[in-house]
Amino acid sequence: MTPGTAAVSPVGRLRQVELRRRWRQLNAESRWGLVILAFILMLSVFVPLLSSNDAYEFVDLPLQPPSAALPFGSDHLGRDLLVRVFAAARLDIALAILGVSVPIVIGTFIGTLAGTTRNPIAETVWDGLVNALTAFPEIILVLGIVAMVGADIRGLLIAIWISRWAQYARIARAKSLALRDAEFVQAAQVLGYSQLRILIRHIMPNVFSEALAYALSDFIFIIVIIGGLSFLGLGVTPPTPEWGAMLAEGRLYLRTEPWLILFPGFFLSLTASGVALLARGLERISRGEDD
Amino acid sequence: MMTASTGSLADRTLRLLRRPVLRRLAQAFFVAFLLMVFAFLLIRLIPGDPAMILLGDQATEEDVIAYRKLLGIDGSIPSQFGRYVSNMARGDFGVSIRSREPVLSIVQKRLPVSLWLTVTTIFMTVLLALPLGVAAALYRRTWFGHAFQIGASVLVATPVFFSGLVLILLFAVQINLAPIAGYHAGFPANLYYLWLPALTINFVLAPVLARILQSSIVETSSEEFVEAAIIRGTQGWRFYWRYLLRPSLAPTIAALGYFAATVVSYAVIIEIIFNLPGIGMTLVDAVRNRDYPLVQGIVFLSGLLVVGLTFMADLVNGWLDPRAKIR
Repeated sequence: MTPGTAAVSPVGRLRQVELRRRWRQLNAESRWGLVILAFILMLSVFVPLLSSNDAYEFVDLPLQPPSAALPFGSDHLGRDLLVRVFAAARLDIALAILGVSVPIVIGTFIGTLAGTTRNPIAETVWDGLVNALTAFPEIILVLGIVAMVGADIRGLLIAIWISRWAQYARIARAKSLALRDAEFVQAAQVLGYSQLRILIRHIMPNVFSEALAYALSDFIFIIVIIGGLSFLGLGVTPPTPEWGAMLAEGRLYLRTEPWLILFPGFFLSLTASGVALLARGLERISRGEDD
Repeated sequence: MMTASTGSLADRTLRLLRRPVLRRLAQAFFVAFLLMVFAFLLIRLIPGDPAMILLGDQATEEDVIAYRKLLGIDGSIPSQFGRYVSNMARGDFGVSIRSREPVLSIVQKRLPVSLWLTVTTIFMTVLLALPLGVAAALYRRTWFGHAFQIGASVLVATPVFFSGLVLILLFAVQINLAPIAGYHAGFPANLYYLWLPALTINFVLAPVLARILQSSIVETSSEEFVEAAIIRGTQGWRFYWRYLLRPSLAPTIAALGYFAATVVSYAVIIEIIFNLPGIGMTLVDAVRNRDYPLVQGIVFLSGLLVVGLTFMADLVNGWLDPRAKIR
């Protein structure tokens, strides 16, 4: 819609038409999800950039209520809560994306490997192991790994990576079982491509779309786990701005300064809700349900 | 079943495994075994010597040796595992480093709180989800149905450690309907401490269950026997109960079983927020204090509880819905 250089060139024009067509295909839920996510991403980019305050710097007296100068007020150390909330948005979203992307790649690869092998022993071992891993109590696994590796960002990510890949592997295996006899795979085999190349270039891209759909709902789980562990003091630790850690700090002032938890908590929930709405909307589109 | 035992042992075992219930049971045992190995590796995979980490640099040689013995990490790995398994079989899960109390007795003391929380939560889930799910199914083409869909997505995505704090703010700080934190044992009295934590968990669970119920009612309502009932002129409660609700309940009841296992996981964070001295709070404290034997014991025992609950849910599910037996 915005007039710019992109709109002038025919290619840019075409891209715009394409985008608008895609937008019209979406249902209300996924549109709301996209709008919310765009809103949060913009704020998390621009607020720390444009504000003169630093997320770690003391700018006012502690525990000042929201005002014109400090729209979200100041925290228990007198730091600008607005800047901290959106600095936390950057960290949380980045960590959640990091948390999703490693299991999706590892899980899809392992699952495709297991789906295309015709070795019966591998299949039996696979069945027992991955089914058991997905039946494993999630939080207990994560807490156990954090206890082992260490209660910090590194431990948090390792725990998420170890505990989340199995679901992707399961999805990838189911899909690649159907694909391993497909004609385009046979064609690639006839052409003499190596097994690995067929796996990575021909089968994995087709498996990936299904894994991506699951990744959206996984993102919600992971961003909540990151916040939750940090809330317990077992993940990101103060003074680093992180939503869960900020909630843990603000919790001590719940009675008198409730905005300390309301702002970070609201934006954490909003982010997760945006992804949830998008996931739900896309799911309904793919099932062919209309609005 | 017994008469068909002509093949080898492996064949027979495989055939048994194909029987769904036994297959699930074997799976549950396998997961329990993995849990045991995981709990065993917990202390052994820590980078560095746990005894040295816990005692610090000034520790004498004898102290370190004594501590290794306390942790069960002296001797070769196979002999450690043998001792670990035989101790567990006798109900000996080691001693907490902090309190020097046996891990099993700590768990026995803390577990009832978590179980009460689970029971209260599930009870509340049913109370909230039944009317919500039915209403969402009956009015799904109206504003209520759309609001339900959006509201459910938002509630499910809201982390309990935020909704819990907001509920404390509303019900314990603004109006005095619940304690801010704490717990007292004893049946009707403890509900005063448990209803707010249970409500918090239900911000996530109730919408999920209501959604399951809603979609299965919608599915049922397109069945032919419902149409037949409408044509015959069946009306009122009889219609709603016999032709709509009752045939739709199976997935809902099955989901409740899995929810019980889920609450055990949620308990970890809920118990911290509401200061309930349950198993979850003990686990988090143990992780913070690096009380490795306690972490090991709780990871295994509460994991076992979750596996057991999931298995029972599987059984109920298979019993209610024959389609779930194959899979």
